[in-house]
Amino acid sequence: MMAMSHKYPDLSARNLGLAAAVVAIGGVSDWRLGLVLALWLAAWGLNIVLSGTGGSAKRFLVPTIFGITLLVLWQMSVRLFDVSSVILPAPSDIWMTILESVPVLWADFVQTVVKGALTGYVMGAALAVLAAIALDRSRFLQRGLLPVGNFIAALPIVGTAPILVMWFGFGWQSKAAVVVAMVFFPILVNTVAGLKDTEAMQRDLMRTYAASYWQSFFKLRLPAALPFIFNGLKVSTTLALIGAIVAEFFGSPIVGMGFRIKTSFGTLELAMVWAEIAVAAVAGSGFYGMVTLAEKRLTFWHPSQRANR
Amino acid sequence: MKKLMTTAMAFGLISGAAAAQDEITLQLKWVTQAQFGGYYVALANGYYEEEGLDVTINPGGPDIAPPQVLAGGGADVIVEWMPAALAARERGLPLVNIAQPFARSGMMLTCWADAGIEGPEDFPGRTLGVWFFGNEYPFLSWMSQLGISTDGGADGVEVLQQGFNVDPLLQRQADCISTMTYNEYWQVIDAGVSPDELVTFAYEDGGVATLEDGLYVDEARLEDPEFVDQMARFVRASMRGWDWAEANPEEAALIVLDYDESGAQTETHQIRMMGEVAELTAGSDGTLDEAAYQRTVDTLLAGGSDPVISEVPEGAFTHVVTEAALAN
Amino acid sequence: MRNVLPVLTVVAAILGIWYLAVGPMNFRLALDAATRGGDTVTPASVAEQGQTGLIRLMLDNPDVIPAAYAFERPRLPQPQHVAVEIYQSTFGLIRRCEWQGWGADSDNWTGLSDGCLRVIENRRSLIFHAWKTLAPTLLGFAIGTGLGILLAVGIVYNRAMDLSVMPWAIASQTIPILAIAPMIIVVMNAMGIQGLLPKSLISSYLSFFPVVVGMVKGLRRPSQMELDLLHTWSASGPQELWKLRLPSSLPYLFASLKIGVAAALVGTIVAELPTGARFGLGARLLSGSYYGQTVQIWAALLVAAICAALLVGAIGAVQRRMLTRMGMAQ
Repeated sequence: MMAMSHKYPDLSARNLGLAAAVVAIGGVSDWRLGLVLALWLAAWGLNIVLSGTGGSAKRFLVPTIFGITLLVLWQMSVRLFDVSSVILPAPSDIWMTILESVPVLWADFVQTVVKGALTGYVMGAALAVLAAIALDRSRFLQRGLLPVGNFIAALPIVGTAPILVMWFGFGWQSKAAVVVAMVFFPILVNTVAGLKDTEAMQRDLMRTYAASYWQSFFKLRLPAALPFIFNGLKVSTTLALIGAIVAEFFGSPIVGMGFRIKTSFGTLELAMVWAEIAVAAVAGSGFYGMVTLAEKRLTFWHPSQRANR
Repeated sequence: MKKLMTTAMAFGLISGAAAAQDEITLQLKWVTQAQFGGYYVALANGYYEEEGLDVTINPGGPDIAPPQVLAGGGADVIVEWMPAALAARERGLPLVNIAQPFARSGMMLTCWADAGIEGPEDFPGRTLGVWFFGNEYPFLSWMSQLGISTDGGADGVEVLQQGFNVDPLLQRQADCISTMTYNEYWQVIDAGVSPDELVTFAYEDGGVATLEDGLYVDEARLEDPEFVDQMARFVRASMRGWDWAEANPEEAALIVLDYDESGAQTETHQIRMMGEVAELTAGSDGTLDEAAYQRTVDTLLAGGSDPVISEVPEGAFTHVVTEAALAN
Repeated sequence: MRNVLPVLTVVAAILGIWYLAVGPMNFRLALDAATRGGDTVTPASVAEQGQTGLIRLMLDNPDVIPAAYAFERPRLPQPQHVAVEIYQSTFGLIRRCEWQGWGADSDNWTGLSDGCLRVIENRRSLIFHAWKTLAPTLLGFAIGTGLGILLAVGIVYNRAMDLSVMPWAIASQTIPILAIAPMIIVVMNAMGIQGLLPKSLISSYLSFFPVVVGMVKGLRRPSQMELDLLHTWSASGPQELWKLRLPSSLPYLFASLKIGVAAALVGTIVAELPTGARFGLGARLLSGSYYGQTVQIWAALLVAAICAALLVGAIGAVQRRMLTRMGMAQ
């Protein structure tokens, strides 16, 4: 015990005693609660042990165990406490629904993520970068446009989505428009900040090379702005997905993730709702991961890309 | 000390008196409007209080599924349409119809006359707007019976998930939209369209109508005789409210406006809605008409490849409550 | 302050473009109404109008353009109509407002007549609905910030939490809140929790994540030298937290608070839909959309943005005060 608490300070006698007390109190009031608590704390202990060891596998293993623990606790709670499937379905039911509905999920994925979110993301990012480049030459416009853009970005999507559906119709175009509206401002702000982020020494060096404005732009300022641009792009991946899904709540053809979530909820098919949510989470994380990979390739020189201690 | 004791006793007495009233929560199917006039009238005129009930009316809305609220214990009785209730029953939530104030269906499909649609046979190749969230069942059944696919293309219809307004029709994004006799149809008229520019198909006329606003409770609770008695009193007071609303539509609409917390409803709209709803509730004393129930079940079962319900429901309604309500 | 002129220029340009766009945006609707009203238009049938381009239609029917500007149910309302609607839903509700003092004749405790208080009490008032939205927003923001700071401290100090919580916090933001909100509301109602708290919890769900990310960055900001210095003074863990990490993370905290408060407002508006859309700015947005009152939607939208701007501005003011006093002014 002493050796363990020496190597893993989080597993000290005091903490273990505390954990045991929590399980006991929970178990006394309801044996099922005690079981759920015991499982959760055991998994947490496992994670502590794993984190203390060396090796790079733990970066993948620990969050996976955390996630699996959550799923197991969810399944146990739903079954033990007899929760109605109309309120919260068990992960096993959700998995069955996923397996049975692959064509539907795929069609929804294409409609929402590929046609709506990705199109809007690319258009919005391109517009934002171009706008930042145009703004770069005029401090006056920068000072005026950024506060106004801030205000426009504060318009709640629940209000702008119905208006954009009214303007662009029920198809994927209005969803792409909502996504453009959502990703434009974060990427713009980040790009403008990035273009300003060169040191005076670096700019002077370009002057000594007799570089024109555009040469200096493409060879110094744009590459220096890339880390900031990627910051904005990463933040915008989740915004794009959420925007496309929410826009579908307000009018859509009969395909799409937002449509499926809304209508399945209305017909009490909650397992389908959670299946779509799972697809959204996986798609969002995958999208974020792809942008992070691109960032690693293109901005390998930046301090933030060094390995963490 | 003496003051404290007397105050405490006074509070005790008051709460004791209040506890004599049974607390009931009613979950509506949509926002506060004259569609639920009878219940608001019963609340405002004190009919519930006279029956010893302390009723809380919770309005619904776009993201609220009343069966789910019932399952979650957030309401004792809900207003729901029969297709959605039967589908929920098949999905494992034991809803039982205890009263049916709406004897007729008010659902329609409203189309532009200049779109060249004269009858259901002209639907293929058109764009139709449909509400979802549980309201799509009558439409899907009808299309199935007509043999028209909902997947678009030349032989089927293109279906749009329309929001709860009439813009898709006015802005010509759809050739036809779903409307209710008491609500959306009049919104279209209010927007400056005259009735002869529209062609309307009422589900009631097409023989594909399904029963709409009815009162539903959880089957398990009906085993408690006290609950049955509470529901009987509730139904009795509610039907009194409906009778009064049918006789005094203008005052009933004003009562509904009083309870509207969003401040968005207008007098004209609500008075007109109350008048139209009165035509749907006319002649009903709350008892479910079994012939109408059977028609609804048949329409839903005849849904072809994708029926709303797959087997004949058993025990989906009961006359126990309405018999007790009308016995006095 | 030196931003005033540029901002005004940009706002004026936007208003100008907005006004110009009203005509083309509403043109097809006005043309449709004119056709049904029996006027001669080119082309004559509605079906052909659907096929023709907008520019062509406008050139062929220039006399419909004024009707497009004055259209009753516009796709794009004129800016001044929106401003009028905002006025009518706020200060325009005042009826017979007078100062009464606190004597026996006074209507209420404020000394103003009831007619003045209509601005904040009447159900049609946007200020009333704005408060109904702001109350859960502030509570949700407080909960989200508290939770975010706690999580950030846990992540920085505990290796297990660092590796396990962060990826899932990121994944949690990919779940569309509009889908989860109704389920959370139903579960809470089942547990008997109603009113302010469910909306606040959904609001905090959206606001905790920026705070976590910002605080983690901020708490890790002190350099190794500074940490070693505290070590030489034999500072304990909590002392290091309070005296070094937390103060140096303040700039990051305020930046995330600004994002968080805007997210909290959006969260509350989203949460209003599954709770019956009875009051609040989200309810007004919805009822405007439901009854096709475009101007109502725009008015509620602008008031929501103004609320967000006020909240962010308030945090900015607190930030400037605090950081100046701590010598970390930026």
